[in-house]
Amino acid sequence: MVTRLLARLRDPAPIVEPEFNTLALELFALQRRQNAPYARFCEGRPEPAHWSAIPAVPTGAFRHAALRAFPEAETVATFRTSGTTGEGFGSHHFATLALYEASILQMWARLGLPRLPQVLLVQPPAQAPHSSLSHMMGTLGALGPQTWVLGEEGQLDLPALRAAVASGPVLLLGTALAFLHLFEALGAERLPLAPGSFAMETGGYKGTGRSLPKAELYARFTTTLALEADAVFNEYSMTELSSQWYTHGLGRPHHGPPWARALVVDPASGLPVAEGERGIVRLFDLANAGSVLALQTQDLALRRGEGFELLGRDPAALPRGCSRAADEFLS
Amino acid sequence: MNTRERARALAQAASAFPGFGPGSEEALLHLIHTELGSEDTLEPWAPPRRTRAVAPGTILHIISGNTPHAGLQSLLRGLLLGSHNRCKLPSAGLPELEAFYARLPEALARRVELARTLPPEWLAEADAVVVFGSDTTVQALREQVRPEAIFLPHGHRVSFGIVFDDSALASLPGAVEDVCLFDQQGCLSPHLFYVAPEQALAYAERLAEALEAVAPAHPVLTLEEVAAIVAVREEAAFIPGARLWQNAEATPRWSVIYDPRPGFTPSCLNRTVFIKPLPADLPAAVAPVRAYLSCAGIWPPTPAHAERAAATGVSRVCPIGQMQRPPLTWRQDGQPVLAPLVRWVDYELA
Repeated sequence: MVTRLLARLRDPAPIVEPEFNTLALELFALQRRQNAPYARFCEGRPEPAHWSAIPAVPTGAFRHAALRAFPEAETVATFRTSGTTGEGFGSHHFATLALYEASILQMWARLGLPRLPQVLLVQPPAQAPHSSLSHMMGTLGALGPQTWVLGEEGQLDLPALRAAVASGPVLLLGTALAFLHLFEALGAERLPLAPGSFAMETGGYKGTGRSLPKAELYARFTTTLALEADAVFNEYSMTELSSQWYTHGLGRPHHGPPWARALVVDPASGLPVAEGERGIVRLFDLANAGSVLALQTQDLALRRGEGFELLGRDPAALPRGCSRAADEFLS
Repeated sequence: MNTRERARALAQAASAFPGFGPGSEEALLHLIHTELGSEDTLEPWAPPRRTRAVAPGTILHIISGNTPHAGLQSLLRGLLLGSHNRCKLPSAGLPELEAFYARLPEALARRVELARTLPPEWLAEADAVVVFGSDTTVQALREQVRPEAIFLPHGHRVSFGIVFDDSALASLPGAVEDVCLFDQQGCLSPHLFYVAPEQALAYAERLAEALEAVAPAHPVLTLEEVAAIVAVREEAAFIPGARLWQNAEATPRWSVIYDPRPGFTPSCLNRTVFIKPLPADLPAAVAPVRAYLSCAGIWPPTPAHAERAAATGVSRVCPIGQMQRPPLTWRQDGQPVLAPLVRWVDYELA
């Protein structure tokens, strides 16, 4: 199945219905057969007749059980989530990284970004072997030369960064938090990137106690790095997945690759919400062949066509009670 | 009003008020006595006394939680000291505190001002600032307070129950009440109950039945709250040995999760309760949250069990069923509550 999926991901012809449905149901059957915890989760649930009805695993389940659809001895890589809830981290095991890497590169080809030298505000894979983000960034090395400017302790090498962006357009990649640190480190200093440059930010501030509204973060890209908001891409994914969803600028929906689907569902009923309505993001990813293809997040979003527009947390919905901030203090 | 008159009026106003736990004029005077040395220490100086405690002219109470205890008790302490009290309430208001204000005699009521948004001059004019809220809220306010003003922050806290032995399930009604009051949103609300291992499963099952009977039919929940509860329920299927009980309707009214792992699992609130077998080494199980512990509700409420509960690092031990009713004289966060607010004048005339 993995070999077939790999070939299909590399084929530029888009995966449309009914092909996606057939592949998803086949992969679901395989995963349920090979993974006892997932099989238990599916017990008592109706047999799905369509990919949208495949039981979606809450992301937190990766903290409790090994969701492997292959024998443990075949594990070649394990990525870990940050443990923000006091119960330790989640683990995502892989028998092969071929699908994961193909998914990253094929989707980048579809984004149509020029191949530029890359400057990365991320720890290199060798220093963070269990970080899916570092591995993803390392995989992008196939598309251009890379300069890593985050040290072993997470410290930013500003001189190296200045040198790396001095000689022409670049692609600057990092987490939103890393960019926030960069902007703080630069203070009032401007570091305009050469015309034609892009940036890609990913991840939030989870577990850091820090936050900055997206519009303010993007304003800093403009004032400090001379990058208009539309030249800043956002990547949305998670350790528990193998594919990524992208958008750029402000107020636009995220879209994923043709081998994945996203639904915005009502958390109480589990059913998709109407166009433009609020719900939580549920993802279906054929590249996640080694674990589970259907994943339920707790991320709030508006349904926008085939994509979704992520919503920040509603400040009015935040600490309602003094025991509310368990996440905050356990981070 | 002198100290005794204030204590009497406050005990009276609080007595008919469900948001307060037990307390009396004598208890309040005793609190002053234990923290400040004598009952008349707040009164104007007169020989042969050698010292006098001076209350802050104005206390600003920043009340961010939506459970009434913290705000009510903070205001009560400020009034007991004789200060003028300005209360910044949550933007949605705090009905219990507003109702308490309405019950105060005129002489005390004129020492209280309430606002839902913080007038900028309140911070600048405060002699003391008491803040309830997240670390972020506390930090942001600390920077705005006059350097010489007294600053008393109260961060977030979590509480839990311990059922050492209760084969008769006598503590069950109390457990239900502790869980349901204030939708588990308070510092004193139990996130979980540790139950004697051989009784834990049955306790979970019976707690579920009891919650089904009393949980509100149509709880008001945000989308995020529903998402969090549904996620916790679905994750239970992946925890080895775990069992889940939940209401049948689509909207989550209540959830009970039996989880054999001993670690302290923070609840996502709104009647979501973990039941865990009581481990041999309870202090080790709760060690990761030790700094944030507030109250342990226990059963049976014996001195020996109270000592075992106190070893976890909590600052309050009470019977299950009383968790949400701290006495008027409760030492919040295990610290003195009046002493940090006053300054002293020493008279050395003889």
